[in-house]
Amino acid sequence: MQLGHCKFDVNKGELVNNQSDEVWRLPRAELQVLTLLIDYQGKVVAKPLLKTGNGQEQPLSDASVTHAIFTLRAFLGPQYESLIETVKGQGYLLKHHRSRKQSVNFFSHPQRFAIIAIITLAVALLISGLMFIRFSPPKALPVLPNSTATVKLTSGQTVDVILYSSSKTNLALLKKQGMQLQQSLAQCNSTSWKRVFLSLSHDEQVLNITLRGEHYGQSVIRNLKISDLRQPKKFVSQAWLKGVEICD
Amino acid sequence: MIVLLRGAHMVKNWRWVINIIILTILLSCIGVIANLTASSSPSFMLSCSSELFNHHNDQQDSNHYLLVDLLSKDGQVQVHYRYFNIDGSSAGTVSMQGKVNSIDTENMIYDISVNTKQESPLAEHQQVPEHYRYLSYVSNLNLSRDGMHNLSLQIIEQDKAKDFAVVLFQPSNTVCGCRLVH
Repeated sequence: MQLGHCKFDVNKGELVNNQSDEVWRLPRAELQVLTLLIDYQGKVVAKPLLKTGNGQEQPLSDASVTHAIFTLRAFLGPQYESLIETVKGQGYLLKHHRSRKQSVNFFSHPQRFAIIAIITLAVALLISGLMFIRFSPPKALPVLPNSTATVKLTSGQTVDVILYSSSKTNLALLKKQGMQLQQSLAQCNSTSWKRVFLSLSHDEQVLNITLRGEHYGQSVIRNLKISDLRQPKKFVSQAWLKGVEICD
Repeated sequence: MIVLLRGAHMVKNWRWVINIIILTILLSCIGVIANLTASSSPSFMLSCSSELFNHHNDQQDSNHYLLVDLLSKDGQVQVHYRYFNIDGSSAGTVSMQGKVNSIDTENMIYDISVNTKQESPLAEHQQVPEHYRYLSYVSNLNLSRDGMHNLSLQIIEQDKAKDFAVVLFQPSNTVCGCRLVH
């Protein structure tokens, strides 16, 4: 008969604590009271019955019964002492305790407790980690210039031509446009522009040219966007660049 | 006594578990709040003007002007594309609304998602700028497929007064010089 983490051996009249292996050979009063409570488990056992027992021996006194209840509860421990319930004015009741015993025993083992604690912590960290991922989108890497060339004009002035491309699919066409621009700039005597940025859309539909310079200490910028429906695409030519006045 | 101590020990263990859970939840909340606070978007406005050139197969080249205004405030963003003919008349507009997803201040990259778009109807006889046609096609494709049109802009160069910046738009791989409005 299991009572909390104690086992009651009816034949030996012993209560054994499974955790500490402590064995308690029950005195007559405790044995009589516990045997009756177990016989009527789940029902109230009247005090007179606890005192007389099976009637073969001398009845116990009220104080003996009360003391027996006290010592039994003490041995069961604070977690299970409430298994023996006092029913005021009637007697005592031994409650069924299977579910409680199982749940408490499960968590009472240090290893199981550690596993539960680790799983709980891991789940909590996972949730918090997911929240961070949700609110911290991955950073895009900055696009760096694909190439930079410096063109020297006939006056000795220099202009940087910078190509931007984040893929290789359109790089050949972009470089070709960059060469056209460099050749046109090289024929200029002077120009207001100090840096020229070129980029081509991935599908080779739009060529973007941004000219940047300074005029009386102020930044000046000019954007040219060229769409070419011809095949093969040429976008810019030296004649066209001359037409849009890239030279002063 | 031993039993009493063991009972007290188990209660302490459970308190420890509860404490860990509460602490983790608190740390998560602090992290999320800090992240949201840090990612609150500063206001900025870019104004970019471009000359558009369209080379055709069997027609004379057609030219247009394009003004792009990009306004961001409180994490919301509006992008207005206004197209003009050479004589100054309107050649169409595209307005987009969305939100700023993230700002990488170190690399000066702004990640934007556009959710809605309006295009102005053009007169039938009017020649549509190729750039307009291209922008309309790409944004329609993304909005109908993904429900959003994502773009990022990276400031690749600024002048000393920070009035002008050269900006690279992705995924279109478009470089553009813009005026910065503070």
